[in-house]
Amino acid sequence: MTKIEQIHVKESLLKVNDFVARELRERFTSQGSYVVNLLSSPGAGKTSLLEASLPALAEDYRVLVFEGDLETQLDAQRIRNAGIDALQITTGGACHLEAHQILQAFDALSPEEPYDFIFIENVGNLVCPASYDLGEHLRVVLLSVPEGQDKPPKYPAAFRGAQAMALTKIDVLDYFDFDPDEAERLAREIQPDIDVLRLSAKTGDGIPTWLEFLRQRREERLAAR
Amino acid sequence: MHELSICQGLCTQLGNLAGEHGAERIRRVEVEVGAMSNVVPELLAHAFEAMRESVPLISEAELVIREIPLVALCDGCGEEQQLEQFALSCPGCGAGPLKIIQGEDLLLRQVELEIEEEVR
Repeated sequence: MTKIEQIHVKESLLKVNDFVARELRERFTSQGSYVVNLLSSPGAGKTSLLEASLPALAEDYRVLVFEGDLETQLDAQRIRNAGIDALQITTGGACHLEAHQILQAFDALSPEEPYDFIFIENVGNLVCPASYDLGEHLRVVLLSVPEGQDKPPKYPAAFRGAQAMALTKIDVLDYFDFDPDEAERLAREIQPDIDVLRLSAKTGDGIPTWLEFLRQRREERLAAR
Repeated sequence: MHELSICQGLCTQLGNLAGEHGAERIRRVEVEVGAMSNVVPELLAHAFEAMRESVPLISEAELVIREIPLVALCDGCGEEQQLEQFALSCPGCGAGPLKIIQGEDLLLRQVELEIEEEVR
């Protein structure tokens, strides 16, 4: 005899990922690692920002970068060339990173001493990565000047889930119809509390502010433990 | 494009539920997809179709997707407003701020399990 049983549930479809992400965050927090997840479309300058800013951060802190890409070790190599520890995670075609990939990569590494900062450079994509918590403490979305200022309303979930927005490539502002104030306003319509930084990896403009922002956020997080 | 990953997660959850209840097949699955959940209902349905072949548990299952509109509560006028797209100010009174109360989630709501019982 076949019995039909109807069960009512209220579970997120991302339950499995969210569970792993929570475990990761607890582990990172307890060992004093501050984790930053970087999201943007391809070519917005995630790797360039890390290359331009992490060597200065690494003078005072132990820093690790996870590089998410569909294929190749290219980005991890760029970060290593800048003197920073980096691990490439290739997704083999998948459009985003998931928490279990971070867990596996981190377990395989099993560092002897904990890192103070861990940066996760997500796969370049403003849609899918927004749904996946990777156990980070801070999510930063990058918007580069050539992309145009209208990205926040076009990709609301990416901006809504971020605590900070980095406007990148501000050195080329003169060549594009990009109004950074308008970009900020549009982002705040989606996420009123978003912190906004204006940066250029090329000229170094705004990089000290970015580093100070990261240091402060880490201190706050550690104090709240 | 991440609907296939979402669907794989769903199958894991369904497998767990079926295991807990001693079921070998699932007859019906109901999920809620919020307008701002970043998931396209049609693509989720396609992903589910694609997974039928490799997941015996859902091979005969009906997938019901309920689309949940984006609804916000206005601090200014106290009214609930259904939004066509994300907005900060209230389409009713023009003031705000708006607090999203519905339409951001992606939820599994109901599952119908087929449980084989021994006839005594």
